[in-house]
Amino acid sequence: MDFDVIIIGGGITGVSTARDCALRGLKTVLVERDDLTAGATGRNHGLLHSGSRYAVTDRESAAECIRENLILKKIASHCIEDTGGLSITLPEDDLSYQSTFVECCRAAGIDARVLDPEEVKRKEPAVNPELVGAVWVPDASVDPFRLTTATALDATLHGAVILTYHELVDFVIESGRMVGVRVLDKRSGETLTFNAPVTVNAAGIWGASIAARCGIQISMYPAKGSLLIFGHRVCRMVVNRCRKPSNADILVPGDVVSVLGTTSSKVSLEECDDIRVSADEVDLLLKEGERLSPKLSSTRVLRAYAGVRPLVASDDDPTGRSISRGIVLLDHELRDGLPGFITISGGKLTTHRLMAEQASDLVCSKLGVSARCTTDKTPLPGSEQTVQMPDKSISARAAATRHGSRISKMDFAGKSEVICQCEHVTRAEIEYAVQCLDVHNLIDLRRRTRIGMGTCQGTFCMSKVATVLAEALGTPWKAPEFVREYVRERWKGIVPVCWGESLREAEYMRKQYGNEI
Amino acid sequence: MQELDLSPNDFELCLKCNLCTTVCPMMAANPHYPGPKQAGPDGERYRLKDAAFYDLTLKYCLNCKRCEVACPSDVRVGDIIQNARIRFGRQHNPIRDFMLANTDLVGSLASPLAPVVNSALGFKPVRLALDSLMGVDRRRVFPSYSKERFSSWFRKNALPRQARFARKIAYFHGCYVEYNFPQLGKDLVRILNEAGYGVELLPEEKCCGVALLSNGFSRQARRQAESNISAFRKALSGGAEAILTTGSTCTLTLREEYSNILGMDVSDVASCIHLATEWLYGKLESGEISLKFKSLGKPLRVAYHSACHMVKLGWSIFSIEMLRRIPGLQLTPLQPQCCGIAGTFGFKKENYDYSQKIGLSLFDEIRELNPDLVATDCETCKWQIEMSTQYSVLNPVSLLSAAL
Amino acid sequence: MRFDTVIIGGGLAGLIVGCGLLEAGQKVVAVTRGLSLNEAPRNRFISLGGEYLPGDSVLPGGEWKNDRLLRVYTRNLGKTPLEADNFILSTGKFFSRGLVTSMDSVREPLFDCLVDYEHDRSRWCTNEFFDRQPFEDFGVRVDDRHRVFLEEGRIAENVYAAGEILAGQIDIEESALFVCKNLI
Repeated sequence: MDFDVIIIGGGITGVSTARDCALRGLKTVLVERDDLTAGATGRNHGLLHSGSRYAVTDRESAAECIRENLILKKIASHCIEDTGGLSITLPEDDLSYQSTFVECCRAAGIDARVLDPEEVKRKEPAVNPELVGAVWVPDASVDPFRLTTATALDATLHGAVILTYHELVDFVIESGRMVGVRVLDKRSGETLTFNAPVTVNAAGIWGASIAARCGIQISMYPAKGSLLIFGHRVCRMVVNRCRKPSNADILVPGDVVSVLGTTSSKVSLEECDDIRVSADEVDLLLKEGERLSPKLSSTRVLRAYAGVRPLVASDDDPTGRSISRGIVLLDHELRDGLPGFITISGGKLTTHRLMAEQASDLVCSKLGVSARCTTDKTPLPGSEQTVQMPDKSISARAAATRHGSRISKMDFAGKSEVICQCEHVTRAEIEYAVQCLDVHNLIDLRRRTRIGMGTCQGTFCMSKVATVLAEALGTPWKAPEFVREYVRERWKGIVPVCWGESLREAEYMRKQYGNEI
Repeated sequence: MQELDLSPNDFELCLKCNLCTTVCPMMAANPHYPGPKQAGPDGERYRLKDAAFYDLTLKYCLNCKRCEVACPSDVRVGDIIQNARIRFGRQHNPIRDFMLANTDLVGSLASPLAPVVNSALGFKPVRLALDSLMGVDRRRVFPSYSKERFSSWFRKNALPRQARFARKIAYFHGCYVEYNFPQLGKDLVRILNEAGYGVELLPEEKCCGVALLSNGFSRQARRQAESNISAFRKALSGGAEAILTTGSTCTLTLREEYSNILGMDVSDVASCIHLATEWLYGKLESGEISLKFKSLGKPLRVAYHSACHMVKLGWSIFSIEMLRRIPGLQLTPLQPQCCGIAGTFGFKKENYDYSQKIGLSLFDEIRELNPDLVATDCETCKWQIEMSTQYSVLNPVSLLSAAL
Repeated sequence: MRFDTVIIGGGLAGLIVGCGLLEAGQKVVAVTRGLSLNEAPRNRFISLGGEYLPGDSVLPGGEWKNDRLLRVYTRNLGKTPLEADNFILSTGKFFSRGLVTSMDSVREPLFDCLVDYEHDRSRWCTNEFFDRQPFEDFGVRVDDRHRVFLEEGRIAENVYAAGEILAGQIDIEESALFVCKNLI
């Protein structure tokens, strides 16, 4: 099959690049070996940075962040909750850092306002009452699954082909030029060949090993970050520490939970495929997290997870924190003498759109196409207009927060039975996801609808959801397989936090599903 | 660090085992009601994010607390729902609800005109008017009002001799005894005097406020609560050994709802508030008082109904043990289940059918047993059972008094 | 209130012991958190004359004489204790709070009985969900008559454990019947 551009990697960067290319009229195909967001995109903090965190050490990065922050709040409004953020100074921190912080923010174009700590305590009762200083910054909470789903949807609506569970087998290189890829469709077992004049490597931390297959060396620094999810929304705003970035100093309200992170440690590339959180990391996160909000010590921890940041290495800092989160765009024709191949890497979730713009600009210049980027002005599907609610039910409202105006595509009449009660997910929403959002199993479904992301982590509804999904996919016999796969995936995040109430839930989960195999 | 793995909201102790849902009487009767788990802990997570997630069907919660009794995780499901209703609920029929909930006001107006009011309430055209104008179901039988209020009777007839007793308790009589059925109060006074205790009333008792709370008048409920608690404190420091009640719902409201729903600190008085049968049991067991009971005639077959709030308190066993002290009384404890009236809930037109559906299995069990009478500690259960079956219902205190 | 046996934890194990003792003519009460879903044993227990107190929990401590438990108090019954010759501890594992955990310890909350468990928290679970988890084997240690230990070497004379609160892989019914036999 012939395309204008092939994109490898179904994280937010790859998907966003596919969207940008498709909007410019390019025939685009994207291949991803697992499901969308299986890498760092599905394992981060869910924080739409204002850039304030980088303002002091990396002004350029910070300015980039705030520009993108404001753009995304307009074009991806249904994926973002504009909670605002606080950067607090605690007694053990250096209060004089605050003025440097504010100055640098403003110099980078970030609106930073100094607040009275007493006022902050009123507005945010769960924040550490010992705080001695606070600055308001335009941080926000973003749902990376929603964002990626909507972006992928827009790409396909504009003609892009997005193929999940398609793994790269090898590149097709003719006369020293990359002309295509061979991929394995993991579900059918078939090998397919795609031809295109340009191939984009947007595979995050796996980008280095992909480039290595054509003999190209990219030094990537896999920096693991672990995070904890707490059972309910403890704070209304994002809470940061006003100090040099360190461990566990951001608490983000994410929909109906709170996400605390993060840590940073080097891991090997092999570990990236099965990354787990250690007991020490959990202890560290809790200890530091309680300084942000003491309430965390009496809030149930639902699960722990880890992601690996795709950083391009510098040799001096072993923890990886002072590496610039800058965007890395590599033209392998110029750099390595291999035309037809580019890599887009580095960056962060907040700047994904800009990364995609830069990559797509390079793709277009290689193709001699003059179309310009329009993604900064084009709303994502779901964010376009005011939402038409099908009825007054709680589940309709919950579905609207997840899918925005796309809720009009859901068939609520007769399908409003709630399947996942923790998160109010109805049969209508599940069927919409199957029809329009490329869902093949429970894990894919979870990413698109929040099923199993509540306090019971799927214990209550897993069997029922599996049955509804299997029926919707036309493969009802697959329900037990879905449950097995899903319960194992949920278990991964429960093991590191298995004490207290989560241990009780684990015992209950084992009783319900332990004999399923 | 993480020593207490609980949230002050306690809703996230919920492990989604769904036991509460299986015992909720409303769930079985009303398909629109999402059930205690969804209305309570599930809903609370979303309501914390955005108040717009408040589900109006929460108005169907009876506040029977059976969900809390069944919960293995100690989640205060009923309280979570009540608190949400107070924070976010809307009143659809405020005038009617005000009339139903303001028992003191209505009682004090109706009592002096009792004969007229009672006839009117029994008169079909009046009931039809109440139904169409105010939404009070025409089928609901109202309890009759007493011309003489209990407190008036007490001051005229009983007060003088109370001074004889060295030990005393304060009696929180509640609206039912005061305006509808002073006989129950008289019965309690008789028992207590016989046991060697004097009775005093509170200077200005106010309704416990349970109906105000469930009908959206929480500010007024709070004012009444503060007045009552202050009166309790005075009584206790003035030598009363305890505050006694004869109604299970009053007891639960005073002891638990004041703190759990209104957020008041009543830790100094809550443990001194007792249900008469529970208190009497304790005193008899310890030997501090002694009472002799005689037979009430031929073997008397009594069916005992555990009111929902009695099950929550866990005190049915005390009423049952007290009744067992009456010789010749054949006591059959009925299967604990909700009678359906849930206080003012069952008076409302939009709820009446649910109430009757919920209570049906209880009524059937009573009819099958065919007792001589039914005993229960809750007055609204009494109204419901008397209206829905042909059996008479008495408070255990009245039976005990008759057996002295 | 006086009984022959008080059953702390009216789940399946407690109810089986209770029914056995009632049939042998004992006066029995069962106190339980929540409401047991085991409807048939529960109804049988009540119809045999057992006193069933749901939605209540025994308060930690109890009153002892040397190593003999005399009476326990419950949250609902206030000052009225439950007194008996023998007590059954059938409070289950973690779900029913028979055992409670902090980040680094496992305890039996009522009498602080000796609990056999793995002290390294990172070994409480295994990564494979479908394998038996180490925490499923945690529980109180008992002597050959199923009596619990108050500490190393000290047995509670009249407190017998049955059901999931026991350490190891337990057959609930078997353990309950064993305890019952011991007491008749």
